[in-house]
Amino acid sequence: MGKFLIRRAISSAIVFVISVVLVFMSIRILPGDPVLAKLGAATQVTPAALKALREAAGLNRPLLSQLFSWIWHAMQGNLGVSYFSQFPVTKLVGARIPVTLELTFFIILIAVILALIFAPLSSAKPGSLIDRVIGYVTSLGLSVPGFVIGIIFILIVSLKLQWLPSRGFVPLTTSVPQNLKLMILPSITGGLTATPYLVRYLRASMLEIKQSSFVRTAEGKGLSGARIMFRHILPNSLVPTLTMLGLIVGYTLSGVLVIEYMFGLPGIGSLAIESAFKRDYVVIQGVALTIIGFFILTTFLFDVLCGIVDPRLRVTKGQKSEA
Amino acid sequence: MKLKKHFSFSGALILTILGICLAAPIISPYDPYAIAVGDPFAGPSAAHWFGTDDLGRDLLSRVLYGGRITILIAMSATVIALIIGTLWGVTAGVRHGWVDEFLMRTADATMAIPQILFALVCISAVGASVVSLPLVVGILLSPTTARMARSAVVTELASDYVVAATASGLKRSRLILSEVLPNIAPQLLVQLSINAAAAVMLEATLSFIGLGIQPPNASWGTLMLQGYAQIWNSYWFVFFPAMSVTITILAFNAYGERIRVSLDSRRSSV
Repeated sequence: MGKFLIRRAISSAIVFVISVVLVFMSIRILPGDPVLAKLGAATQVTPAALKALREAAGLNRPLLSQLFSWIWHAMQGNLGVSYFSQFPVTKLVGARIPVTLELTFFIILIAVILALIFAPLSSAKPGSLIDRVIGYVTSLGLSVPGFVIGIIFILIVSLKLQWLPSRGFVPLTTSVPQNLKLMILPSITGGLTATPYLVRYLRASMLEIKQSSFVRTAEGKGLSGARIMFRHILPNSLVPTLTMLGLIVGYTLSGVLVIEYMFGLPGIGSLAIESAFKRDYVVIQGVALTIIGFFILTTFLFDVLCGIVDPRLRVTKGQKSEA
Repeated sequence: MKLKKHFSFSGALILTILGICLAAPIISPYDPYAIAVGDPFAGPSAAHWFGTDDLGRDLLSRVLYGGRITILIAMSATVIALIIGTLWGVTAGVRHGWVDEFLMRTADATMAIPQILFALVCISAVGASVVSLPLVVGILLSPTTARMARSAVVTELASDYVVAATASGLKRSRLILSEVLPNIAPQLLVQLSINAAAAVMLEATLSFIGLGIQPPNASWGTLMLQGYAQIWNSYWFVFFPAMSVTITILAFNAYGERIRVSLDSRRSSV
């Protein structure tokens, strides 16, 4: 287990470092000057003033030195200061993380519940009408962009039926019911985009488990179909699905960006989009670092969790060939 | 016979969408930029099949022209992703050791960055245009293509004919170009179709959050952004571009799926 942990931790760390460097470099290498963007409408900027601003922002130093000093500061929990609002990035990101986490939690919750309903239904009789209908709906779900689902919900639930508001946010600390009311539509929207992946994966792994000998034994013992499904097949197919869930959390974070923005939720996704409009690179970098870190951490945790639950998964490819 | 096997509803749908978008200047009833050709926020009618937008522009014409931009960006992005991804994956698959390791770790790392976030970073730096969007989207889609190309190449290199060809002294580069690449072409076609769907989705998403095609030009995503802003005034404004995007993505995904299934059945029947 220890060896497995170290191996996974090292490969996660490598992926994290490369992706963070990629983000940093693409911001610096691409044209576009944050100082110019900051000055924006201000006219009559003297070249000297421009130079001073660049120096203050450290933009005249060599790329690698900028990269290392950014990483060095990031490790100390200092992600820099927004070019625009002059707030520390950690503060901006920190203030918005709870919203994103809450939304992500609800999205995953909804997706998991729906998957636990539809995957067993679908795999009970492969090829049956129910299975085919669920198959078509999941294919459809994989093709509909999240914001289109959001638009449909707003059109029906907010505009036609006027049940729920389409925009806005109330912090959990202010009012729990109001917060939840505003979270319903974004969560369902995100949940429905994540569900098809889970249903497909869970169905496939349930069908695989169905072939195994212990299921045949259970059938031979004369257990009821439902009991075999929920006591034998489902628990055993959850383990591979856990790995998938880790990935889905990651994809969800990507979708959350747009969902937050369209429903007006002040999470880190809308922070990233607002900063992109303002070209506030320091903030975008900070958000990217947070989201990537969160994504890699969740996939790592889910992998470790799977390794704990199912020792067979601890063997990595390299080890297998040695054995 | 082969043609018949590959004919499908989704394929026909893709061709129809491409045809309609190409023919937009001929078939669209109005100038997409001409304002006040109808009343603002009119619903669908005989004169304006898709209704009109906030400035009284004909939505059908705008959707047709928007499709040209969306499809153009998606196709260029798909081609870019195919070229970069194939080079990337084939190089990794052919060369073992640290080159492979480095290339694939980079692919993993790129995939760890949420696509929209990475696109935000690039677009905010270079600005959105008909040139930058395909490049950014194409680069974003290349690591998945690379993974697919690599695994296809590795499987192919292990097959008997490669061993035989190598033994008979065929040059490695020649073998890759004239034997291996044509053999993995069907798998690349599957990826091409899936990538096209993903590219349409990414372009629409970026334009929808306002970081894509800028007005007065409008892709489907831009139209959705405008329609979404006016959602309280008109249901239809946002509805038609959203449907166009969804149907197009669905067609590309279904086509990719179909080829994959026919590939699998061919392989299992051998």
